[in-house]
Amino acid sequence: MARIQLQNVRKAFGKVQALDGISIDVKDKEFFVLFGPAGAGKTTILNCIAGIAMPEEGVVKFDDDVMNLTDPAHRNVAMVFENYALYPQMTVYDNMASALRSKLYKTDENEIRERILWAAKTMKMENLLERLPSQLSNGQKQRVAMGRALVRTPNVFLMDEPLAHLDAKLRNAMRTELKEMQANLGSTCIYVTHDFMEAMALGDRIAIINEGKIVQIGTGDEIYYMPCNEFTAQLMGDPQINIFRAEVFGPDDSYSIKINVRGESVTMALPKDDGVYAKIREQGLSHADIGIRPQNVKYSFEPKEGYFKTTVYSYESIGNKSVIVAECGDYQLRMIAPNGLNVAIDSEVYIRFELDHIILFDPDTKNYIVRSDEANFIALATAGEEK
Amino acid sequence: MAGLTLNHLYKRYDNSGKKKKIKNDFAVKDLNLVCEQGEFVALLGPSGCGKTTTLRMIAGLEEITDGQIYIGERLVNDLHPKDRNIGLAFEDYAMYPPLNVYGNVAFNLRAKGVDKAEIDRKVREIAPLMQIDDLLEKMPVKLSGGQKQRVNIARAIIREPELLLMDEPLSHLDGKARQAMRTEIKRLINKIKCTTVYVTHDQLEAMSLADKIAIINFGVLQQFGTPSEVYDDPANEFVASFIGEPPMNILETTIINKDGTFFFTFHDSNLQIAVPKRYYDVVSDGFRCKMGVRPMDVLIGGPDSQGTPEEIATFENLGDERRIGIHVGDVLMMLITEDEKRYKRGDIIKLEVRGEKTHLFDIETGDRIREKK
Amino acid sequence: MKNGKQKALNVLMNILLIIYAIFALFPLVWMILISFKSDTEVFTTTFVFNPTLANYQEVLLRSDYGRYILDSVVVSGGAVLVSIIVGVPAAYALARYNFPRKEDLAFQILSYKFAPEILVVLPLFMIYQKIGLYDSYVGLIWVYQLISLPLLIWVVRGYFEDISVEIEYAAQVDGYSWYQIFFKMLVPLIKPGLVSSALLAFIFAWNSFTFPLILSSNKVYPVTVAIMKYLGTDSAHYGQLAVASTVSALPAMIFALCIQKHLVRGLSFGAVKG
Repeated sequence: MARIQLQNVRKAFGKVQALDGISIDVKDKEFFVLFGPAGAGKTTILNCIAGIAMPEEGVVKFDDDVMNLTDPAHRNVAMVFENYALYPQMTVYDNMASALRSKLYKTDENEIRERILWAAKTMKMENLLERLPSQLSNGQKQRVAMGRALVRTPNVFLMDEPLAHLDAKLRNAMRTELKEMQANLGSTCIYVTHDFMEAMALGDRIAIINEGKIVQIGTGDEIYYMPCNEFTAQLMGDPQINIFRAEVFGPDDSYSIKINVRGESVTMALPKDDGVYAKIREQGLSHADIGIRPQNVKYSFEPKEGYFKTTVYSYESIGNKSVIVAECGDYQLRMIAPNGLNVAIDSEVYIRFELDHIILFDPDTKNYIVRSDEANFIALATAGEEK
Repeated sequence: MAGLTLNHLYKRYDNSGKKKKIKNDFAVKDLNLVCEQGEFVALLGPSGCGKTTTLRMIAGLEEITDGQIYIGERLVNDLHPKDRNIGLAFEDYAMYPPLNVYGNVAFNLRAKGVDKAEIDRKVREIAPLMQIDDLLEKMPVKLSGGQKQRVNIARAIIREPELLLMDEPLSHLDGKARQAMRTEIKRLINKIKCTTVYVTHDQLEAMSLADKIAIINFGVLQQFGTPSEVYDDPANEFVASFIGEPPMNILETTIINKDGTFFFTFHDSNLQIAVPKRYYDVVSDGFRCKMGVRPMDVLIGGPDSQGTPEEIATFENLGDERRIGIHVGDVLMMLITEDEKRYKRGDIIKLEVRGEKTHLFDIETGDRIREKK
Repeated sequence: MKNGKQKALNVLMNILLIIYAIFALFPLVWMILISFKSDTEVFTTTFVFNPTLANYQEVLLRSDYGRYILDSVVVSGGAVLVSIIVGVPAAYALARYNFPRKEDLAFQILSYKFAPEILVVLPLFMIYQKIGLYDSYVGLIWVYQLISLPLLIWVVRGYFEDISVEIEYAAQVDGYSWYQIFFKMLVPLIKPGLVSSALLAFIFAWNSFTFPLILSSNKVYPVTVAIMKYLGTDSAHYGQLAVASTVSALPAMIFALCIQKHLVRGLSFGAVKG
């Protein structure tokens, strides 16, 4: 186990700046998630920690030791690769034993057996030990790759999208299993993913990465409720958060917002919220980008007081619930609905926002300004951190 | 009027060349299906379940072992694919690479010898519908996955087929593109109102696109119904576990009678759940079956709840919702809550289930055990 | 009805295959027949003759034929060995590293096989005589690299490219040094390609005629050239010639038969990926 630090790490591939000044500080035994879209540089960060890639600038530290010049074999890291990278000519057992049989990490064969059996049991793959990788399904390969890392007692576990190639159902099930064995890891873990649910569920802290830079670091709750900009807000949540432009106006003690719905303007009173009101006043906001999560958008198929009219663009199941997408001219609104409704496309739907659950973004910089009930959410997020 | 009727359809594997006979040698077994005119039907099942074979039989690309296929009122068993008046949009976008998009879309009509002006009129009519009007002059290699798929569908529907067949048209796309294309297909089919049969292994796709879903496993139709029917009223354990994400919790249970009240009990667990009254006619003391309940129908009871206290094994905060896993024997029972409270591993919660959403399945056959009406 | 058609088609296909087999094997059979004929019967008989082992006795026991075979083994085997030692690292480099003009270099190696042997052999003859490589094992092994090296590099490179680089990373992280990774992880994975291409290269080298004909004379005498000896200036001993040819063809044929399945799979496996 170790504390892993990157200080201002930079790395370019040809003309592409893959890492552009990455600094992170992963605490000992922390489960740290690197989360971002494809091509953000997440895997390159892992490779720099493993020693597979060499940073051109910056420092990689394990505890207090600078590791830049240490080769991968001597860093004592265990890595799970996105394509599993199992040794095709070896059985599952030999794959798992590989590290413990190397000169560097030489272990007694009896102990190897014990450790492998334990890892196999944890990963529920005792029946696979004699098979060759080519005889395994994707899900089983994933288990083996994980098991191969688990038998070691490394400074840090590095996991590169280990669930990315599984289908949705298996991925969710594996994520839950991973969560269950998290307590058994007993070591620092850095986990790369582009799946928001994995990031939220597994990470003690999450670093949002985009274009080789760190956008935000925080607990899942912090980032989910107080995203530092619109990019992060859109990344955290499925279906995506709704963000639309609104005009903010009114006397100081009762602000209203005005939005454009298919060419008509709709005005709504902004519920009284000290934090929100103070920020609007302070910054003299006349416009804001308003973010509101799909579960805070309410719908009705009958005209109703306080609801404005739009039409249904689509109605689709996302598993245990469905999403109605409503057409509002130059933007669309997503909202959560139960499965199995009888919703006709292009029929009328009436919408109301729960304006006590909004996030305000600066319309120019797209950065976070304030959210409803901010003090409470700060408390919630930091409570998570202490845990 | 029926758009498509499958009547006792069978397909047997051709085993003559193989030494080893496959045990279950029917790819499709006694399949009966009636799709109404203009209906969007999804054939859904795991890979190798016979859904694609069925589609290929409808298209005429595969011989029929037994049974009849009617498109509209016509028996098409012995018709050549080109005479069946169907449109095909298949998994691999088989476009003619030397032709541009316009040429590809127009190809079928040209082959039929349709008048040039007429072809042009039709292509121009369909292009904006599929949002390919800007692409008409492009070559297939220059197109993205989603664009290719749109061209593919345009090509299928330009002949104004009686029946549109699609085989996993989205499987080449990923993530966001897939979701967007799904919406587009749905809106398009809604516009042209063509009877459509759509093969997929993705239950989400079927649930969000189809008017009706035919769930197939091992070549046998498991259930045919609307998305809400298959979701809320599954015919058997297979359908119940295949539809929905996360899947339904299905637990083996022994029912006991405690002072006239029936309870579900579970091997290696102290969990007890009251059996809904409507099942009292079909259960008895010591009755064994499987109990199914969806994760959102498992609830966390309040302080004065009668539910059994259970220890949390996993807690996943997913932002929009929170998933909690609880060990029941060696099965992890999942529940989903939107309540803002944060739990951690080892916390104790009281479990309740929504009785009206609880299903019973036969322990051997997996068939649904229904209450007596 | 369908079955009848199928059967007829099968029969027809088999007949065609048999005709082709006779066509392809005829020279071989003919050669073996001649090897059992006495000189007098070579031109007077076809299938009916008095078989004799005299030719075999003459060639195998009373001439230097054993030495010629040994020369062939040394030269071809040596050539393949050198190719493996040089070619495997070269193939690895071409597969894994990016350097300027990499593809040009790879193509150039392949192009060694394009030039007709007769074109290069004449200048080589002059050079070899000047620097003392003429009629030596080293000289022949060296020139045989033109035959065996390109083949080996191209096949093995394909194999290396098929191994995902993450496997090497995984082994590094597992605590292995580069050499250990190379011999424990990579060599087993390229073995099918290495074995099949090495055997094929051996056969090609064995069969080579132009190079030994011109670049060697007395000290090194590979079997392909040695066969010519039995075409004396005064008399042509066709029977002995046939024996020499048959025996010299044996290793190649045995190899080819043994590794047939392996060979096709091994060569196409790496080559499929462009």
